[in-house]
Amino acid sequence: MFACIHTPDARALARSFSPWVETVDEKTAVFSITPRQIAEKTLERIPHAQVAVAETVEAAILAARNFPGLTFLEPGDEARVLGSLPVDCLPPDPEIFQMFDLWGIRSLADFARLPENGVAERLGPRGLWMQRLARGALSRPLRPAIPAATYEESTELDYPLDRIEPLLFLIGRFLYDLCARLEAQSLASEALHLTFNDQERMLRLPFPTRDIKFLLKLVEHDIEARPLEEPVERVRLVILPTEPRRVQHGLFAPAAPEPERLELTLGKIRALVGEKNVKTPELRNTYRPGWSVSDSRLAFRYFRPPLEARVETKAGIPKKLWTRVCRGEISKIAGPWRTSGDWWRPDAWNRDEWDLELADGALYRIYRDGERWFVEGTYD
Amino acid sequence: MTSPLALGWRVPAVPDVLSTGILDCPRGRITEIAGPRSSGRTSLLHSILAAATGRDEFVVLVDATDSFDPCSASAAGVELSKLTWIRCNGNVEHAMRAADLVIHSGGFGVVALDLAEAAESALNRIPSTAWFRFRRAVETTPAVLVVLARRPLTKTCSALLVEMKRRHSLFTGEYPFLLLRGAEYELAPRKPVGGKHARWVASA
Repeated sequence: MFACIHTPDARALARSFSPWVETVDEKTAVFSITPRQIAEKTLERIPHAQVAVAETVEAAILAARNFPGLTFLEPGDEARVLGSLPVDCLPPDPEIFQMFDLWGIRSLADFARLPENGVAERLGPRGLWMQRLARGALSRPLRPAIPAATYEESTELDYPLDRIEPLLFLIGRFLYDLCARLEAQSLASEALHLTFNDQERMLRLPFPTRDIKFLLKLVEHDIEARPLEEPVERVRLVILPTEPRRVQHGLFAPAAPEPERLELTLGKIRALVGEKNVKTPELRNTYRPGWSVSDSRLAFRYFRPPLEARVETKAGIPKKLWTRVCRGEISKIAGPWRTSGDWWRPDAWNRDEWDLELADGALYRIYRDGERWFVEGTYD
Repeated sequence: MTSPLALGWRVPAVPDVLSTGILDCPRGRITEIAGPRSSGRTSLLHSILAAATGRDEFVVLVDATDSFDPCSASAAGVELSKLTWIRCNGNVEHAMRAADLVIHSGGFGVVALDLAEAAESALNRIPSTAWFRFRRAVETTPAVLVVLARRPLTKTCSALLVEMKRRHSLFTGEYPFLLLRGAEYELAPRKPVGGKHARWVASA
């Protein structure tokens, strides 16, 4: 059974009966009530409040909002009691209320008497929902406001830890408890916030998970990549919760890397080559060399950084090229192509480019920046 | 299906190939592309990556010398959102270790190891056992391991070796108003023996 209180301090009153309270609006609160509480007639002692008890949440709300004093709706008798109310008690819907006026429906009893198929046909799903509400037959679970939980574990050690293994053992125990609490709430983790002494580090996860082994491995890789500066005396772990991942795999979809395994692999590679050297490239909306969108199908390879070159020119046109990786006479050359941009930024560019072919047949792109020459890369 | 060899060994037939329209790369095997600069090695690699990403497969490029150009790869049809680019800043040892980790991780359609601009001394330090290890690791996966180099490196470990040759560049216009329009390359299959030579034009 559910009880609904309709009064200015409804929420506080409802909390004196149950910790699980659904706040419908500022003046209305619903909660689950036990037969013992009903028998003790405690509800009758609430002064100046409209109170209703019913088998369904919606029937209790409707009765509490519209009947004075205490109303008790016996199971099976909801339609009769609610039937005396005018149709204006239902949630407002201009189109449906216009139809009520046309049909001459004044009370909930009039509406409840109409055949369901006819109502569904003429008023649609919304009309059917309102008719079930008018009959007191609309059943839904209570939606109590649950206070936000914090997923945090911390400890102060008797002696400082300077090795990674005992530290991971401790973090593993934290993760075991926190992930069990996440699982109980059907949640997963989106980030780990670790504090060693006063050093904070945040581990953003690529996908929500509560896999303890995976999380512990990530922490291990992070500590290996960014070693601790001093022995650890205080450890604090906070998990930021989020909705768990729901994935439906296609039967004929091509194989893709398992996210957990991929993240661990990329974590190892990041530790090897550096954080910024593992990424998915994306083109930018710019004409900056190296990042602009191009329609050339001739593959290009960059020399990063560009190779400084010595160029012999005749009437301003390059004739010979010397660098540490290539040298020779230029047999064909196209250019110069003058490009510049981002003059308002410190990394502005302004240069003349040439595409050239050396005598051995290799194709290069060179450019002149001021008085200096560079080989940017090769067509391959 | 198996194909018998003279010594009685039986090599499992290639289960599947990744067809690029230019080249059929056997899955679970090493494909090696070798050739000098401007011989079309990278254009061929881009076509392999484009074919794989076009089939919604995820690909990895282990770039030993940080040479990859996302613009021309995108123009060649590579879907960049399905590409993981690992830059090793010239460290061949890191590139080999990264490739090893990626191959063992599994799930990728193509793993490309670009050693085309790596220093000769660093290439000479790669132990031959590394290629045998790669061959063993990749044969249990549906991935194509593509190795890009100036000269053949994998020896007996590759199932397909394509030697690239530059034929000529395509400049249009009259001097001094020339324009680089493309290049014509030649693919010479060295392994398996007897493959057909092919010509291929990449246009700028």
